[in-house]
Amino acid sequence: MWGGQPAAPHSFPHILLLTVCPVDGTAEYAVVVSKLVITTLVFALIAAACSSAAPVEGVDPPAPITSEEMQNLLADSTEPIVLNVWASWCTPCRSEAPLLSKAAAQFEDDVRFVGLDVRDTPNGAAAFIAEFYLDAPIEHYADQPGSIPTDLGGNRGVPLTFFYRPGGELSYLHIGVIDERTLVLQIDELVNG
Amino acid sequence: MEFTLLGAAAIAGGAAYLMLWWEARHGNAARCTGNLWEIGVVSAVAGIFIGRIIAMLVDGTNPIAHPADIILVRSGVSTAGASIGAAAVFLWQSRKEPVYTADGLSAAALAGLAGWSAGCLVRGTCLGTASDLPWALSQAGSTVTRHPVGIYGAVLFGIAALAIAWWKAYRRPPAGMPASLAVVAAAAIRLAIEPFRPSLSGGPVWFYSASLLIGIVGIVWFGVVVPRRAR
Repeated sequence: MWGGQPAAPHSFPHILLLTVCPVDGTAEYAVVVSKLVITTLVFALIAAACSSAAPVEGVDPPAPITSEEMQNLLADSTEPIVLNVWASWCTPCRSEAPLLSKAAAQFEDDVRFVGLDVRDTPNGAAAFIAEFYLDAPIEHYADQPGSIPTDLGGNRGVPLTFFYRPGGELSYLHIGVIDERTLVLQIDELVNG
Repeated sequence: MEFTLLGAAAIAGGAAYLMLWWEARHGNAARCTGNLWEIGVVSAVAGIFIGRIIAMLVDGTNPIAHPADIILVRSGVSTAGASIGAAAVFLWQSRKEPVYTADGLSAAALAGLAGWSAGCLVRGTCLGTASDLPWALSQAGSTVTRHPVGIYGAVLFGIAALAIAWWKAYRRPPAGMPASLAVVAAAAIRLAIEPFRPSLSGGPVWFYSASLLIGIVGIVWFGVVVPRRAR
């Protein structure tokens, strides 16, 4: 079955042209797939345009904090701290929020989770907390100018996740969306390192 | 930093392509209707897409209301959803000769998984749970040594890929056996290394166990039942 027969020719991948069936594949097939993709995108855009933020009831916007106050909070903490920088307008923050919420609940006894909302509106921040962090043991603060992450050694991008040992020593800084492996590994470093 | 996933994907794709290239010179895929590389890439991409959507749904995010979130695969992809989605897309593409096409892709798929695991070197995610073993490694500035679990995966998947490729090239196994054995190998390797991977939930062990069972059923079917019926 395997030996003695001619090998199938390997042509350049046509995936970008959506012609995924090269032997008996046809242009007709590609047109159907293209139409399907375009229709899906149109529906997704219409649905996204029609969606709106739910009214926020019973959720306070995060309290403002200065750079000095944040540095004192970190320095005075006797627990390790995971400091996540987010904003309601930041799509990657939205995508990592469920993971942070789960991790905060799981490591509640070992690690203190702090959220820092930057360059945001109070209503947008409250809506974001209501959507993702309502029951999560995370304390949130607001930094309207967005200068605190830079003062702590990060940059002006969001999201950022700082990992601090007790006393405020920086253990690790993750720039961008954080994944489960990195988050759990760095928390383990804080707890057992 | 955000592009490290693409680096890992490139290593995975390169490893799979190299395996297909080597196997093509040893008679691989002689009866397959379709280009194995294209079928494999489309299945993998579709699987990641489906797995990401399922992960979003599980986390309570509506993918229709937030379509931009779909491309943020770093935030999480459902392993079971991605695997089942990739398998479904594969079966649809190879519906004329699913068994021979699966056999043709079996070693390349394992090589791709080996490449993806080795991609931890690019992503900086090789380390796992704490360990005192002599080969344990630590991250910069840390005193905690850890299992290099990404390397474990790369080595084990690589050995499995080479073994199946050699078996196909020189021993001519019955149809369906290489694919079944690849499923068993992939599931067993992931089951073996999962305890060493840092995770919130312990990983989808149920899915790896079910895959292992399906692979064993495939081995019995293609290795015992089908040959017996043919006689």
